[in-house]
Amino acid sequence: MSDWRAHYHNEDEEDQDEAEENEEDVKFTGRDSLIFLIDASESMFEVNSETEISPFDMTIQCVHKVYTSKIISSDRDLLAVVFFGTQKHKNSVDFKHVYVLHDLDSPGAKRVLELDRYQGEKGYKLFKEDLGHSWDGSLGDALWVCSNLFSDIRLKLSHKRIMLFTNNDNPHANDSSKARMARTKANDLRETGIILDLMHLWKSGGFDISLFYRDIVSLSEDEDVGMQLKESAKLDDLLRKVWAKDYKKRVVSRMNLNLGGGVELSVGVYNLIHSARRPAAIRLYRETNEPVKIKTRWFNGETGSLLLPSDTKKAQVYGQRQIVLEKEETEELRRFDNPSLVLIGFKPLSLLKKHHHIRPSQFIYPEEELIAGSTTLFRALLTKCLERNVCIICRYTPRRNTPPRFVAMVPQEEQLDSQGMQTMPSGFHLIFLPFADDIRKISFTGKVVADRDQIEKMKRVVQKLKFKYRPDSFENPVIQKHFRNLEALALDLKEPEEMEDLTLAKNDVIDGRIEQLAEEFTSLVYPPDYNPDAKGPQKRKLDESAGRAEKKAKVEVLVGEDEIRQHLRSGTLGKLTVPMLKEVCKQYGLKGSKKQELLDAITSYFSKH
Amino acid sequence: MAPSAKSAVVLCWDVGRTMSMALPGEESSFEQAKKVVLLFIQRQVFAESKDETALVLFGTDGTSNPLATSDQYQHIIVHRGLMIPDFDLLEDVHSGIKASDDQADFLDALIVCMDLLQKQTLGKKYEKLHIAVFTDLSSPFSSDQLDVIIDNMKRAGITLQFLESVEQLSIFKKIERKPMAWPCQLTIGSKITINIVAYKAITEEKIKKSWISVDAKTLRKEDVRRETVYCLNDDNETEVTMEDTIQGFRYGSDIIPFSQVDQEQMKYKTNGKCFSVLGFTKSVQVLRHYYVGRQVLKVFAAKDDEHAAVALSALIHSLEELEMVAIVRYVYDRRSNPQIGVAFPLIKDKYECLTYVQLPFMEDLRQFTFTSLKNNKKAAVSEEQLSAVDALIDSMNLVMDDGEELEDLFKVSKIPNPHFQRLFQCLQWKAFQPDDPLPPLDPHLKSMLDQPQEVADSSLASLEQLKKLFTLRDSGKKKEQKMAQQIFKNNDPEEQDAKRARSDDDFNIVSLAEGTVTAVGSLNPAKDFQALVQQKNVNFGEVTKQLMERVYQFLEVKNHQYYMKSLDCVKVCRKEAAKVGESQHFNTILKTLKENVEQKGCKISGS
Repeated sequence: MSDWRAHYHNEDEEDQDEAEENEEDVKFTGRDSLIFLIDASESMFEVNSETEISPFDMTIQCVHKVYTSKIISSDRDLLAVVFFGTQKHKNSVDFKHVYVLHDLDSPGAKRVLELDRYQGEKGYKLFKEDLGHSWDGSLGDALWVCSNLFSDIRLKLSHKRIMLFTNNDNPHANDSSKARMARTKANDLRETGIILDLMHLWKSGGFDISLFYRDIVSLSEDEDVGMQLKESAKLDDLLRKVWAKDYKKRVVSRMNLNLGGGVELSVGVYNLIHSARRPAAIRLYRETNEPVKIKTRWFNGETGSLLLPSDTKKAQVYGQRQIVLEKEETEELRRFDNPSLVLIGFKPLSLLKKHHHIRPSQFIYPEEELIAGSTTLFRALLTKCLERNVCIICRYTPRRNTPPRFVAMVPQEEQLDSQGMQTMPSGFHLIFLPFADDIRKISFTGKVVADRDQIEKMKRVVQKLKFKYRPDSFENPVIQKHFRNLEALALDLKEPEEMEDLTLAKNDVIDGRIEQLAEEFTSLVYPPDYNPDAKGPQKRKLDESAGRAEKKAKVEVLVGEDEIRQHLRSGTLGKLTVPMLKEVCKQYGLKGSKKQELLDAITSYFSKH
Repeated sequence: MAPSAKSAVVLCWDVGRTMSMALPGEESSFEQAKKVVLLFIQRQVFAESKDETALVLFGTDGTSNPLATSDQYQHIIVHRGLMIPDFDLLEDVHSGIKASDDQADFLDALIVCMDLLQKQTLGKKYEKLHIAVFTDLSSPFSSDQLDVIIDNMKRAGITLQFLESVEQLSIFKKIERKPMAWPCQLTIGSKITINIVAYKAITEEKIKKSWISVDAKTLRKEDVRRETVYCLNDDNETEVTMEDTIQGFRYGSDIIPFSQVDQEQMKYKTNGKCFSVLGFTKSVQVLRHYYVGRQVLKVFAAKDDEHAAVALSALIHSLEELEMVAIVRYVYDRRSNPQIGVAFPLIKDKYECLTYVQLPFMEDLRQFTFTSLKNNKKAAVSEEQLSAVDALIDSMNLVMDDGEELEDLFKVSKIPNPHFQRLFQCLQWKAFQPDDPLPPLDPHLKSMLDQPQEVADSSLASLEQLKKLFTLRDSGKKKEQKMAQQIFKNNDPEEQDAKRARSDDDFNIVSLAEGTVTAVGSLNPAKDFQALVQQKNVNFGEVTKQLMERVYQFLEVKNHQYYMKSLDCVKVCRKEAAKVGESQHFNTILKTLKENVEQKGCKISGS
């Protein structure tokens, strides 16, 4: 079982590798910022009889979700909440009817709580008391306040976005000067690189975007007008829209796709899937709960003097020989190509083996900035690969000191949902292919094939338990639990919020659905006296414990010095088991825990004695 | 216990007279064989393979083998018995073993190898017994025994292989790990339980050893110590002890103290190992690019449980027939995090199993939106451009279809990871010459990663057409690009040799594509010489010297073709010397050449 354990322990290490390899560079791009600008006039609080929720309530729930998920996935982003159309006001320029609930900052537990106070019927009452409503507000003023919030931030902002939540399609119908001011201000924002999105909500009679908002909102090159047209009546729709807007595409790297013969186009590499992890713990000073800095120092064990990186070299030991390389050389030997995708050729998609998987895929999309004209060639390639059902085999060097791997570029056609929202962009997926070394030989026992009746019975079971898989169906219970615990501590809750573990099998539901089919199947495949548990791990456990006792006894038969020397001569020391090696080490006062360490310790001891 | 997977290999290496003969500028068979033997042992040593290897030399001056009598089995030495290869062996091959002037019957050598294999494997279990022979087969041997020997080998279960070139990498041992069984139960609700065992079947293999830091002067790792200190965020960076600190986590802008004990107690816990079906879905709904994680498991029925085998088979076949897959909760053990994954059927001639791959959680997905390429007016594609891409796909097809079977010209799953090979090459180099810079990339290693030559050749025209039809303008924004060219256009002569070796038949294409001449080579010295003389900054005397060195090499071969080549060189030299006013120099050279030729008694026939 050592191998599996090894994997378990390596997991973190590998993850780190992955993290390093795929880290998008946030450092250089600055922080992302997003202001939720929420219409607080009375019409927003009217309950939609179909969905039984008011647009305002839906908005608060939506912002709550964004807050908590930002805490989990990108806690460096800055968020703000601004109401307009309130009776009271709070903002740096004392504009009436604009109330800044939260200025731009990374969200924390307190903010989540403050937001939650305005949820539901009780929240509505409270809102009325605290802030009140007014029809005199000006959208232009509200936008002005928002732009001030951005400029008050000293940090470098990479992405500035305002999401406007409203169900009023003609806010200044009777006041042309206010309407003009709003347009002018929206234009100013656009010019300073601030994006304004409209999150238009349900309104009886429908939301007519052409009345006012068509000229106000920004349309980036990425968007089609069509994508904006439908209002959101359900929280899910609204959330999806918010997410789609909020996700900035962070490019992992940009590189050339070299087709050969001097034909090159440039592409950006993206991670459409990126494993979210429980964040690492930080150390705090006990007295103040402030984070402490952690410094690692290298020093000479004998003289105690500090070592600079240039004072050390890198080494590996094989047998009894230590091989030393300069640190730069350990990087140089990993260097094959510069970052690039190099075309090898084309293969039918059917030749791509489903089970040849070694790591999560990446995605590429053309990049005009490096080589103009890339999009046209990319599109031609994509069109033809889709039409002919072929994938492109490439040699892929993700970064400079990384050895190449081969990938299959699998064509992806754009997909839209019923609302016209893009669910899958067009481009190529990069599917990593295994080398010979990555495929393990497995000894299998002979093939026993079930008969027709047995198969047919199982088919009925399968069909009874059919559901539509969606990749967003399952939350990660480890991460969710972690953040619920933190939330409870942060907010002084008695108990963390309940969490449904969606990864658990609902046995009662399954049993209920397949009813007697389960028994019919088991009676077809198992003899009456067969008990899988008796043959399964339980029994094995018993066997194991017996075996262990036996093994222990064996170890006591010590490995003699002659025997060790014999093993060293023939290079077969590795054949001894870990307990045996440990016993040997104990005898000679050597240290080590992993097999390799034990072997190295013994080898070096006997080479000297 | 899993059966022992080690094998025993005898390297049977001809070091005799004919092996060291070679054309000028080319490697002798001895040198070529040495390369392969080195690579083979290198990989075993650095991959810490448990396979045992013996080395038998034949054609040696001396004799040392158990079968030798006064007139039998002469000039054969058992250099080393079956052992795990180590540095000593590597060093012997690298610099200890020399070519000799004798020769031996290679069939005798084979018999010595068989004898060695039979005697030294007695009583031990090996998965495979193998003899690899490195010879040019130029020494005489008595073929009458050949059938008998081959027959005997078959009976003893010994496989035999003749190796002549570095390209035959099939013998190279992959990095192999013994697959470990993971017994568990597959459950569908509480009523259907199948005993299974899973193996990690595909995973990115890593090198077992990692780099350790050593002191640059003493080269001792004991001299490098690491310490971690904690300090406050004040101006003095006041140090505090580990005991003065507690653990905490970020919750957005808040920092929450959360002790390890509390965290352990409150964290998500599983009930231990698990492989339970949550439901079934159409296989088209689980797209390839959803796959996450870094491994693939193969799931079989528990060993020696034929009832489990029948039950699992029923599941495998029903999924296959319905084109459906299972969505599964997988937990490796009590301490590990649960996964959601897909289990799909894999049915082969010899076995069938479920294959498990991890799928993403909601938190892992990123909903990036990209401009639609379909409706993008800025990137309109013409019919002509599309058919140019069509032609490219046709000309770069990696799959040959002869009407019956598909032949894959580029099977990635058969290529060994070049990173390992490169690391081993560098480690060995540094072990023997610690002060030299790293060696260049092995040419054969590089060629392994390149497009098959036939595909490269057949795509030239369609690429040219592509270039014509698509406007691609480099903005020069990528700084690295220049570097890329410098690195990739490798002028290393060894590498050029490798390219030639890869495509003997059409080296003209290669040499055309190769670009600048930097020295007079042996392949086409006259042309090289002319090219060099035309480069203004080159010293005529120096280049002429290079040319004449080639001429003398050719004369050594004593073969008509090479005499003619020498003559061409002399002619060109004369012509170019006249052009640049160096006739005097040429005359001196010619005089020396004449003396040399007379001395050696060469006859230039036909002139």
